[in-house]
Amino acid sequence: MNNIEITIPKTLQEALELISGGNEGIGIIAGGTDVVAGMRQGSNRFGGINQLVDVNHIKEMKGITGAGGIVTIGAAETFSGIISNKIIRKELPLLAKACGTIGSVQIRNRATIAGNFVNNAPCADTVPVLLAYDSTIEIKSLAGKRELPLAEFLKAPYRTQLNSDEIVTSIKVPLPKGDFKGDFYKLGRRRAVAISRITLALLIEIKESRINRLRIASGAVTPIGTRFNGIEKEFEGKTADEKTLKAIASRLGERVIEVTGLRWSSEYKLPVVQQICYQMLYSAVYGGGK
Amino acid sequence: MINLKFKLNGEKVSVKTEAGVRLIDLLRNNFGLTGTKEGCGVGECGACTVLMNKKAVNSCLVLAGQLAGASIETIESLAEGEMLHPLQRNFLEHGAVQCGYCTPGMILSAYALLDENPSPDEEEIKEAIAGNLCRCTGYKQIMDSIKATADELNSKNK
Ligand SMILES: Cc1cc2nc3c(=O)[nH]c(=O)nc-3n(C[C@@H](O)[C@@H](O)[C@H](O)COP(=O)(O)OP(=O)(O)OC[C@H]3O[C@@H](n4cnc5c(N)ncnc54)[C@H](O)[C@@H]3O)c2cc1C
Ligand code: FES
Ligand code: FES
Repeated sequence: MNNIEITIPKTLQEALELISGGNEGIGIIAGGTDVVAGMRQGSNRFGGINQLVDVNHIKEMKGITGAGGIVTIGAAETFSGIISNKIIRKELPLLAKACGTIGSVQIRNRATIAGNFVNNAPCADTVPVLLAYDSTIEIKSLAGKRELPLAEFLKAPYRTQLNSDEIVTSIKVPLPKGDFKGDFYKLGRRRAVAISRITLALLIEIKESRINRLRIASGAVTPIGTRFNGIEKEFEGKTADEKTLKAIASRLGERVIEVTGLRWSSEYKLPVVQQICYQMLYSAVYGGGK
Repeated sequence: MINLKFKLNGEKVSVKTEAGVRLIDLLRNNFGLTGTKEGCGVGECGACTVLMNKKAVNSCLVLAGQLAGASIETIESLAEGEMLHPLQRNFLEHGAVQCGYCTPGMILSAYALLDENPSPDEEEIKEAIAGNLCRCTGYKQIMDSIKATADELNSKNK
């Protein structure tokens, strides 16, 4: 790990030229909380790296701005930067909450938002929230740029659609229009045994006592962060009473089992996921806890 | 090998090093600043905490080649000559130092907190040191020391 080369470009153009230069052992480093820890532990995902491009000093990849109903977050923005941002705290409270649960102050001062979902660990805590908010990401290469929904970008645990000549430059989060209530829930520490880890993000809008819009996304219970569009469609328009909320929670449990293919941990997790989902829905709809 | 320039404990320094060397190794091996401790080596324990541009970071997760121009402060920068920093004095007086292994990192996390927020409440102190593990004290003495320092510094500045 010692004799790698590290470059700190000041502009995106420079960074893109570096990663398109034909060196197969070149990689991107932001906060390094996955890369350095991973190299240290001999993870083969970072094994072949002989050069790193540090993206922390690229202005185009920093900062948080709101315009036209969309909040744009620079890919290299740290979790500390995101948590302390007023727009995020007010308009995207689930994101502020999720970022606040990540690691420790020291980790949040370095770790970046793009690093979190490009790494795409099953337990990447920003993922369920960004999915619930319908986020899209912007990716650039020397050839141009593309924008795609985060849900499409994520392929499998530790795998995304990112090509080796591309950099994620920003995340765009449309402000939820309407009267959404919701929450982010996280159970268990990152390194705790996987069986005990559960994350859920949920937004619900009630109109005239019916469910107008519903968004549910999971983290650690599914192999990668997953949005449950089917369940959302199934229950939109239904009366928002306790029976419906129970039915949603129960369907979520069934879907989780379908997605994960009945793992040995499901037996324990299933009732817990359903109970948590129900409680989150209940306090979103009726206020307070149950 | 690169020729690296950055600011260390208030002074401009330059050093020849490999880019992939971790900041903690650079501090201990090239500068003899052994106050910074290594525990887990993967960001979990906080023993290696230093300040990078005034913010607490794990020096086991920062590479030398990422430093260019940064300002790094270690535990060695806190005392003025023989005079301990109030945090250091209060840690001693409140029995917050037992084996001492976590202490430098713990104090730097507290220092960064007080720098940003001179009157933290109990929750804010807990959050600030949540990334610093102590296997000896049970944290109460540490919380007390930080609280006492905040009070002391605030009454001085009145
Ligand atoms: C002690 C500890 C506790 C943690 N706790 C949590 C937790 O509670 N919840 C959680 O979700 N995560 C946790 N993490 C992991 C979390 O810190 C990372 O996922 C972090 O968000 C990664 O960001 P980074 O900037 O450090 O990425 P890096 O380590 O620098 O990079 C990670 C990956 O993303 C790539 N990359 C980074 N930026 C870009 C970009 N702009 N474009 C393209 N590729 C890019 C890199 O090439 C690399 O493959 C923890 C980590 C540690 C060490
Ligand atoms: S040694 Fe760096 S956090 Fe444990
Ligand atoms: S005093 Fe021993 S680890 Fe804290």
